[in-house]
Order: sequence, then structure tokens, then C-alpha cells
Amino acid sequence: MLILNNLMPEPLRERLSGKESSIWNRSLQFATGEWIKITAPSGTGKTTLVHMMYALRKDYAGSILLHQTNIRSLDPDSLACVRQQQISIIFQDLKLFPHLTARENIELKRILQEPFCDAAQVTKMAEQLGIAGILDQPARICSYGEQQRICIIRALVQPFEWLIMDEPFSHLDIVNTKIAAALIAEECRKRKAGFVITDLDDDELFPYTQKLHL
Amino acid sequence: MNNLALLLKKLIRNSAGHARYTIAITGLSLAVFLLLAAVQIQVNYNELLHSKSNQDSVANFLVINKVLTDANMGKTALEDAVINDIKAQSFTQSVGLLTPGRFKASIQSNSDRFPFYTDISFESVPKEFIDVSGTEWTWNEAAPYVPIIIPNMFLDFYNFQFSLSQDLPQLTPDIVKMIVFRVTVYGPKGTASFNGKIVGFSDRVSSMLVPSEFMEWGNRNFASETLKNPSRLIIRTKDPGDPALTNYLRKHQLTTDAEKTRFSKYRKVVDAVVAISGVTGALMLLFALLVFTLFIQLTIASCKEEVNLLIVLGAAPQQLSRFLMSRFFPANAWMIAVSFVALAILQYLMSRYLESRHIFVSGIISLYTLGAAILLALLIWWVNRKTIRDYIYPRS
Repeated sequence: MLILNNLMPEPLRERLSGKESSIWNRSLQFATGEWIKITAPSGTGKTTLVHMMYALRKDYAGSILLHQTNIRSLDPDSLACVRQQQISIIFQDLKLFPHLTARENIELKRILQEPFCDAAQVTKMAEQLGIAGILDQPARICSYGEQQRICIIRALVQPFEWLIMDEPFSHLDIVNTKIAAALIAEECRKRKAGFVITDLDDDELFPYTQKLHL
Repeated sequence: MNNLALLLKKLIRNSAGHARYTIAITGLSLAVFLLLAAVQIQVNYNELLHSKSNQDSVANFLVINKVLTDANMGKTALEDAVINDIKAQSFTQSVGLLTPGRFKASIQSNSDRFPFYTDISFESVPKEFIDVSGTEWTWNEAAPYVPIIIPNMFLDFYNFQFSLSQDLPQLTPDIVKMIVFRVTVYGPKGTASFNGKIVGFSDRVSSMLVPSEFMEWGNRNFASETLKNPSRLIIRTKDPGDPALTNYLRKHQLTTDAEKTRFSKYRKVVDAVVAISGVTGALMLLFALLVFTLFIQLTIASCKEEVNLLIVLGAAPQQLSRFLMSRFFPANAWMIAVSFVALAILQYLMSRYLESRHIFVSGIISLYTLGAAILLALLIWWVNRKTIRDYIYPRS
């Protein structure tokens, strides 16, 4: 169970107060396995929300509870454990190690904890997303589209209960978006995991259980 | 190394530079070596002071006699009261009486190729005051020879003065020990002859020493004088520089062999070496640890972005700390091990060298030094760990 309790990011308080939102300053409960879509125009705090849910920032009012635990109060090692076992993420700004190869970037996340899938599975996913050919290239010379697909695979090689995605298809064309979405759906089903995806616009890429507007 | 460590190694490179690393490690090695050396020197020094086999080295023995003046000529025997008083003093650990021979004696060469003859007199001291080890220091009438210890300075006098002026060959201690000569004692009842052999050289008593059994036998059968109190005695003291001792001697018009102050000089030298080595080692350790700490900080700081991203992606600070420890600490552990082994080798070589000088220290490095090495390893481990954790944790 993921609970968002009256969240309000402090730096955005002024800008967001008085605006209609189905997330800010509201209490929400997401059951494990739910697929949530959050849409919002640029500059309304999508990335801020994602970072709050991933415990990257703590400058907000309210609380986020994962299985009754306030993720803001976790010590660094416990938080790392949550990030290795319960919450995976696809960042909007990708966050790859530029001088590691695509495969090394993925491998690092795969073996940071007890691996969820084997190395062959990584190659299979890369083939599925059409980036098998660039796996041994340094990430810095890959295109944005390729880097985004590396990030998607990186997020899918670890165990998780929740997958948080911040505009995960922003650099992909519609064909590749559909392929990537299919892979994400397959991996979430495999784990009986839920996800929260943020985007600018509404879509029907997944059978969402909730759609929210920020 | 596992795959994760390989990837982390690729990310957290040694950007602080190999030269800095080499300097840091060299400084630490020297500091550790000096500190361990200080501990080992202190242990060796204590061993020299307290071990029975080293009574000829830095232990403190003083031969005491009355100051000879015009007034007491012929009356230098030490009265029982004086002897008992000396025994009762706090600076006295033990007292041995020097028994003078009350018979005439001579030694004479058995060989025509190296002829010599001289009248001689002997003294004996209790066995525990003998500073020549490894010798059967006893005698009976059936013994093949009379063992004799002569002062080192006799040999020096022969080798560097007498032999040169008489055109005689110089003699090493080992050659002297091989020469068998004739010892003859004279008394009212006649004479007796034995083979004699130098079995050692002493720094402690400036007279020709024979086993007390021989002395008793000679005095019993050949004494020409009646029994008298000894004129000299030897004391073992903890500290020859003790003001109480020097005051006592002065007050009772007693004197001691000035040569013996040499031992207290040794002691000062050892104290100074231990202090210099210890203080230098401790200071160097401090600076070297500082340099090494800065090196670790620099390495982590130069990979700040990578470390931050690793933590964002879910790497536990504990995982990173462990990895960084595995990068830095093994070199330190090796450095301590190498310093320890180098010191162990030096200790062995030094013990062999000192053995030839009749100073006996263990050839094996002491457990205290091993303990110190383990303590230093723990200290360096703790400093490494703290530096790494201080730098990794606040970023998360």
C-alpha cells in the first residue's frame, strides 16, 4: 500500500495553493498492483512529486507511507534497501553514467542487490527494445531515445513493488513507445507490481486503474 | 573481485593521483616502522636489563672498594658491618664478595713457539655475577683445566700495546681461548700445576677470575696468609646513577670502577633512541594519517557525482563504504605487515650481531610489537572507516 497524505512541496506552495489538483493536499491510497497515470502540464510539479515518492527530496509538507513506513524518515541504508527491493524508477533526466557502457549501466543496477533476472534476460529485453546493438557503447554516445530505453531496462532488472516513471517515453516514437510499454507491463505483471507514471497527456498505453490530474 | 566491485572500481577511480597515494603510503609505512621499532627497542632494552644472560651488557654492576689513601694503606679490607650496611641499602639488589687468592700463582706457556711466564693472582666472585655465558664455570681436582676469565682490557692492552712493542702476534679472543697454558700455585706445602684456559672476557671485574671451587681449594691448601675480609665486593643495582648510591659511596669513603658508568650511558642512549623513534613515529603517523585521510577525501570528492548517483540509484552507503574500505585498507594492512616483517628480520640480524658481542636479545620479534602492529592496524582501519563514512553518509 502506498499512501500520499496531504502532500505539498514547500518551494511550490505559493504557486500551487488555490489550484485544483487531485494529488496536492489530498489523501490518496494506492493498493499494491495498481497502475496509476498522473497527467499534468509542464511546470506543475510532476518531477517534484516523483522525487518525493522516491525520497530524493524531503522539503514538503504531508507524508508518503510505504507499508505504513514514512519514507522520509528512513535512514540512508534502509532507504537504499527500499530502492533495491521495493521502488524502481525511470528518471526524466535519465541519470546514466556516461562513461559506462549501456550494458554496464544496466548491469550495475541488476547486481546492486540479489539479481532479479539473469544477464541473458537483459540482452533479450534490449533486443525487444531494439538497442541490442548499442549495449557495449558508452552511454554518452547513445542517442536520447537509446538512452531512454537503456533507462527503462535498467529499471526493470531489479525487484520492485512500485515502478515510478517520469515521462518515460518522452524521447521515443510511438512504435517504440508501444514496445517499451508492453515490456513494462509484462515485467510489472511478473512481479504483481504497481506503477505510477507521469506524463503531459493522457494515453491508453496501459490499462490504468486510476488516472489523476496534478 | 566480483562484478559489482569491478563496476564500482570503474566509477570511483583513483583520481587523486598515484604520486599522492605513494607518498601517503610511504609516510604511513615509515611511521608504522618507527613506532614498531620503538616498541621492539624498549622490549629488547627490558630484556637486556632483566635477563640473567645479559648481566654483562647494560645491567648495572658495581665493584666497590675503599678509597686508598695514605692513612688506610694495607687496611682496605671491608668490615662485616660495612658489608651488611651496603646489603641493607635500597639501591642494592644483591651483593657478591670478591674472594682474593691468598696464595702465589704463576701462568706459563706450554709452547716454546710462544713463550711467556708471569706471576699472577686470582680472584673469584659468586657465579651469578659472572658475565661470561655458555661456559662450564666450575672446577674440581679432576677437571682437565682451570677455567679463567680475564678482563677485556687485558686483551686490549696486549693487542694494542704489548704485542706491538714486543713484535708478537696479535690475538683474537677466539685464539686466546684455544691457548692452553700452565697454572702453578705455590704455598708452604709445595706447588701444584694444572692446565689453564681462558674461557671468556669480562667487562665487569678488573681481575683474573677463577671458579670459586678453585679459589677455595687454593686458599685451603696453599694460603700463606690468614683469612681476611675481602677488600672488594660487587653489587647489582637497578640504577647506578641513583644519587643515594653515589652519596653513600662518598660518605663512607668508598669508590667504584668509573668504567661502570658506561652501562648507565647505554641506558641513556637506549632511552633517547626509544624516545626519538617513538615521538618521530607518532608524529609521522599523525601526519601520514592526515595525508591518507585527505587522499581518501580527495578520491571520494573527485567522484562526488558518481557517488551521489550511485546512492540515488539505490546503492547503500554501507555498500559503498565496504567497497571503499576494500580499496584503501588492504594497502594499509600490507604496509603494516611489510613493516612488521622488515622489523622481524632486523631483530633477527641484530640478535645475531649482538650475540657475537656477548649481548643476548631474542632473535624473534616480541609479542608486544605484534600487539602494537595489531593496534596500529585497528587504528588505521578505524580512521579509514570514519573518513569514508563521514564522506559517504552526509550525501545521502
